[in-house]
Amino acid sequence: MQLLGSGYQWDYLKQALKRHGIGRRLLLSIIVFSSVVTLVATAVQLLTDYQRDVSLIKSRLADIDSSYMASISASLWNLDVSQLKLQLEGIRHLPDVSSVAVYEVGNAVSKPLKIELGKFEAESAIVREYAITHTFAEDSRTIGILRVEASLTQVYARLWDKAIVILLSQGVKTFLVSLFILYVFYRLVAVHLGRIAQYLSDYNIDQTSPLTLARDRRSHPDELDLVVTSFNALTAKLEDAYEHMRQVNQALADDIVARRRAEEEVKHLNAVLEERVKQRTAELEAANGELASFCYSVSHDLRAPLRRIEGFRRILAEQIEERCNEQQRHYLGRMESGAQEMSEMIDSFLQLSRATQSELHISQVDLSALVRHYFAQLSALEPERRVELTIEDGVVVEADHRFLAVLVDNLVHNAWKYTAREACARIAFGCQSADNGERQFFLRDNGAGFDMKYAGRLFSPFTRLHKASEFEGIGIGLATVQRIVARHGGRIWAEAEPGKGASFYFTFWDGKTDRDQGNDITG
Amino acid sequence: MGKRTVIRETILLVEDNADEAELAELAFARLNAEYDLQIVANGEEALDFLFASGRYCDRPDYRKPALVLLDIDLPQLNGFDVLRALRSSAAYHHTPIAFLTTSDENADIEEGYALGVNSYLQKPLGFDQFAQLLQDVSHYWLKLNTRVH
Repeated sequence: MQLLGSGYQWDYLKQALKRHGIGRRLLLSIIVFSSVVTLVATAVQLLTDYQRDVSLIKSRLADIDSSYMASISASLWNLDVSQLKLQLEGIRHLPDVSSVAVYEVGNAVSKPLKIELGKFEAESAIVREYAITHTFAEDSRTIGILRVEASLTQVYARLWDKAIVILLSQGVKTFLVSLFILYVFYRLVAVHLGRIAQYLSDYNIDQTSPLTLARDRRSHPDELDLVVTSFNALTAKLEDAYEHMRQVNQALADDIVARRRAEEEVKHLNAVLEERVKQRTAELEAANGELASFCYSVSHDLRAPLRRIEGFRRILAEQIEERCNEQQRHYLGRMESGAQEMSEMIDSFLQLSRATQSELHISQVDLSALVRHYFAQLSALEPERRVELTIEDGVVVEADHRFLAVLVDNLVHNAWKYTAREACARIAFGCQSADNGERQFFLRDNGAGFDMKYAGRLFSPFTRLHKASEFEGIGIGLATVQRIVARHGGRIWAEAEPGKGASFYFTFWDGKTDRDQGNDITG
Repeated sequence: MGKRTVIRETILLVEDNADEAELAELAFARLNAEYDLQIVANGEEALDFLFASGRYCDRPDYRKPALVLLDIDLPQLNGFDVLRALRSSAAYHHTPIAFLTTSDENADIEEGYALGVNSYLQKPLGFDQFAQLLQDVSHYWLKLNTRVH
């Protein structure tokens, strides 16, 4: 393995030491721990060496007893000083022995012998004293004392040197090992952590390349491989989830687009429908208008010749009055009433046409007054008729006065007409409030009435529910009335029973109605 | 002044339909020739008679119409055109003019009055009523009504 090969790795190591990173902490931990271990190991080794040296000294001192005591005892008994000195010198040359001395002891000795070799130290020394005994005739007595002193200075010096060497070597070793571990850590872990961090910070959900580390192939995956595998599994899941979310979003977006398209289609269809309704309405209005103007011009064009027929009939009747017989007079009368009927018909056509075509001019209209007015007209024509009238006063509506006059004229005329055969005719006009607060106007009579099963046809033009011989009329009045009520945004309906009379109800301004034009703008 | 009782005042009737004209003549006949009735068939003829021009250039001054009865529906110049021409002339600015027609259209009535017509009369169906109407209108405008001198 190339050790600390590239500059980049050096940089990493330097930075690792500077930064409060894992590398620095790892290094510090190793150094501290290794130092402590080194110190303890050194102390134990030094203590062991010290004890070994001391026991070596002690065993040497013990050896003195066995190897020197007999000869020293003899020498001292003999007071052979030179021999003693030689012997002492021998002991002093033993390793670590710093001084040796012999002291003569005994009661009879006045001037005891004393020989000292070397310098005695007070401390850092092991002192041993041996009794020098002499055996004479079974009697053993002490004749002197041998004192040996072993110095520990050497021992200490050796220990000191050893301590320095151990500490130095251990320190260097610790430092090198730490650096090596740091390097290994960098190679095995940190560089890959950096790569992982880089990958994560650059991570984009759309990228497809998985996380890979530039590492040698191993037969068995280690922790980093597990991390990479797990991470890739996680990103795969994340991508799946993201993809799923994207699909859901896409589906939602598609849904929204489809819905919007459907809405637009509905709008478009509505617009088309509206357009079609407008077109149909316009067509209908045009057709109505055409019908009305046709009605108008036909009525006018019919009126003039009818007038001439009637005019010349009258003149003819005048001229031949003297000569003509009853039957001829009857024919002339039939011609007159035919012309009269046709004239009324033309007037009705015009009324219906106008009810469809003319503009509305809205003002306050006193319905009660109108009803009274038209009854007065009819009463004047047939003063002999007995009719019991009940007219509610002050019934006022906002409407077109001319149209309401036509409406009241028609309804009152009907009521008058269909009660003609009643001995005691009763006609009532009024206004009632429905449950929803709606004002309903009514005109009620006790006349001929009609079968309710024909009620649906009542307001169609040219519909008659009675034989013309019974009640004259052409069946256009109620159609006109209905048209007028419709122009005023109202409804009209009837309740009746044959022989018991009929009630007509009508309302104004039910829905939203354009009062200027009288067109129902709610469609 | 005595002459005025002899000279009957002229009523001009503008009516394009011959039958109508005849009926009107018959109706006026009931008035015992009280008035001088002149009937013309269209607007141009009416203006010729009124202003004594064209074929009526020799129309004597005493026959200047004192009352004009106008039908609205006339070929070419219609009743409104004639009315407009008369109202804008000094000679007929104050002359009573009445529309006599079968129509009772509100628009026509309004326009007629706006142009200065004095009466709007709808011809009734019955001949008797028609004759009565002519009598009434003539009587009113020529006898009852006070004119500008």
